[in-house]
Amino acid sequence: MAVIRLTTTDGQPVEYEDELIAQGGMKDVYFSPDRAYVVAFFRDPLDAQGQARLRAIVGPYRQGIFENEGGAYWRDLFCWPTAVVEQDGRTGVVVPVYQPTFFFAHGSVNDDMLGIKGKEKEGKWFASASNRAKYLPAEEKGNWLTHLQICLMISRAIRRLHAAGLAHSDLSYKNVLVDPVTGRACVIDIDGLVVPGKFPPDVVGTPDFIAPEVVATQHLEKTDPARTLPSTLTDRHALAVLIYMYLFYRHPLRGGKVHDMDPGQDETLAMGERALFVEHPSDASNRVRAERLTPAQRPWGDPASMPYTIAGPLLTDLFRKAFIDGLHAPLERPTPSEWESALVRTIDMIQPCSNQCEMGWYVFDNTTKPRCPYCGTPYRGQLPVLNLYSSRHSGAYQPDNHRVMVWDGQSLFPWHVTRTLFPNEHLSAAERKRVGYFQRHQGDWYLVNEAMPQMYDVGAKRDVPIGGYVKLLDGTQLLLSREEGGRLVQVQLVLGEG
Amino acid sequence: MRRLPVYLVLDVSGSMQGEPIEAVRQGVQLLISTLRKDPYALETAALSVILFDAKARQAVPLTELMAFQAPKIEAGSTTSLGAALELTKTCIEREVQKTTADAKGDWKPLVFIMTDGHPTDDWRRGLDVFRQAKTGLVIACGAGPDADTTVLKTITEAVVSLDTADSSTIGAFFKWVSASISTSSKKVDLTKADSSEINELPPPPPQINLVT
Repeated sequence: MAVIRLTTTDGQPVEYEDELIAQGGMKDVYFSPDRAYVVAFFRDPLDAQGQARLRAIVGPYRQGIFENEGGAYWRDLFCWPTAVVEQDGRTGVVVPVYQPTFFFAHGSVNDDMLGIKGKEKEGKWFASASNRAKYLPAEEKGNWLTHLQICLMISRAIRRLHAAGLAHSDLSYKNVLVDPVTGRACVIDIDGLVVPGKFPPDVVGTPDFIAPEVVATQHLEKTDPARTLPSTLTDRHALAVLIYMYLFYRHPLRGGKVHDMDPGQDETLAMGERALFVEHPSDASNRVRAERLTPAQRPWGDPASMPYTIAGPLLTDLFRKAFIDGLHAPLERPTPSEWESALVRTIDMIQPCSNQCEMGWYVFDNTTKPRCPYCGTPYRGQLPVLNLYSSRHSGAYQPDNHRVMVWDGQSLFPWHVTRTLFPNEHLSAAERKRVGYFQRHQGDWYLVNEAMPQMYDVGAKRDVPIGGYVKLLDGTQLLLSREEGGRLVQVQLVLGEG
Repeated sequence: MRRLPVYLVLDVSGSMQGEPIEAVRQGVQLLISTLRKDPYALETAALSVILFDAKARQAVPLTELMAFQAPKIEAGSTTSLGAALELTKTCIEREVQKTTADAKGDWKPLVFIMTDGHPTDDWRRGLDVFRQAKTGLVIACGAGPDADTTVLKTITEAVVSLDTADSSTIGAFFKWVSASISTSSKKVDLTKADSSEINELPPPPPQINLVT
């Protein structure tokens, strides 16, 4: 096989093997001999604007994200093109290969009957209740915690793009690789980025993820002022759909309502002008018809048995903003940063299912007798809930709308100790280390202090030194730090069944 | 959930004997194994095979991918394209679920027709019947130099041709068919909303020529 040698537009040597390995919607893809990167050529010639866009993506936009503080963090979250090549009038991009974790290690059930071992983990496998139930083995499915982590990674990546003034414009499960085993995600196909006012979009998006206002104006000319094209606001819709699909394995707008006898027309209305959330609280006309679901689609395909509210109060609030308030009002849609914040705090609210069921983890709802929504196993025994407060300028402590549910192995991190830290790319290595952990001993719960020099038991009026511990009782108050933004913890003991 | 019905209407006349018919057998197998690796097709696509020589018969009724069993494909005698078109219409009306005021039906079916010769029956009558069916994209493929692309062009706008009818070209055709079925999760072009045209499909490989 011939190896072709080229020089990138910025003067770097690249090589590829002259054998087509994949054909995307717009590109032909070739491997480098060392399999470290691919060269992907656009089949159609690019106009001057398209060329300029690519140069901006591999140049200034890339540097802006990767060469700033926290830059290394993004290497795992984006598969970002590194250079542009020209060959015989064709334009191509050089892109790193996907990490091994994004390829199926086991494949499908029954000794990989579908033959997907080694193939890319396209998100659609995991975002569909029936595909999960019928084809994926436990080794590939991960659990509900890893799905929350996937959603967090995607939100964080999109937050970063938007902060740089970029819109992805074609977010879908095809353009985000996920690994439910480790809870990782990676945004791919970045060469279509949209820069408002500078580089317009090439495509309206991928069905299931196109915002209603884009679908509804798709029949208009591109130049018509009423025509809505992809932007950061439509990314917000696509992001909400992705998160909904990765947490509930069904689509938020695909319900039973018939809008037109013609399937194509019906689709345009159901995804566009008349889009309606299947779980809308007052308009029940688009409810999923549970009697028409196959056994493999249950229980996840049926919102009545697995409602979106199982994701806890913070995410419930954002889904409401995305699919009720903001479905037809783009400015109301949650930002990626709101999703990121809510997901981080929701991950602090989950409990392992004591039955170790397939879902594995669930948001602990302390308003009722908590039980796993998937297998119904109730929480047994007592569970400490830490309500976080932090000091403001006045010196008074105010609630942060952040709770930590304790489980055996749960940890405290620096971002629990102070309101001034948030877990993201800005944390130093030291700030990623845990500072305390929880342990159950003879039915009682203890917090062990590993690295909080100012920890103080308010009720007992005593310091808790590093290496010391404190028993958690209902009403226990602990000061974790005396600095500005330092947290005060109020312990609440919740009793499960039995 | 709407199914995407796919009808493969395949010529098994005497002239297909030998390498071409073997290529069709392998093509159907390849189509199934490729679509089973596509999570979108796996969830939505349903496939039927209609074969025609002296007569037309539905060798596999509309079946979801996991339950699909490849039919026995043997070369026969003449080329009853008209009868095949008529049967396809009957099958579509019987098998494709229509939308009602109360329930969503299936997507409009994709129909792929492949023939290597000239029809030997009253194909115009068959075409008149076929036109009464509600179909999505209909793609006709003339395999080899003896295929009558003028007839195919009367059936549908979307006609492709293969210079020869051998394992390489027929294999390429089936590969393109599977890519076309997977493409429902395609990106939508900015200037077009209508997906009933051939340019909405993935670009055909070099072995496949667009007949204009």
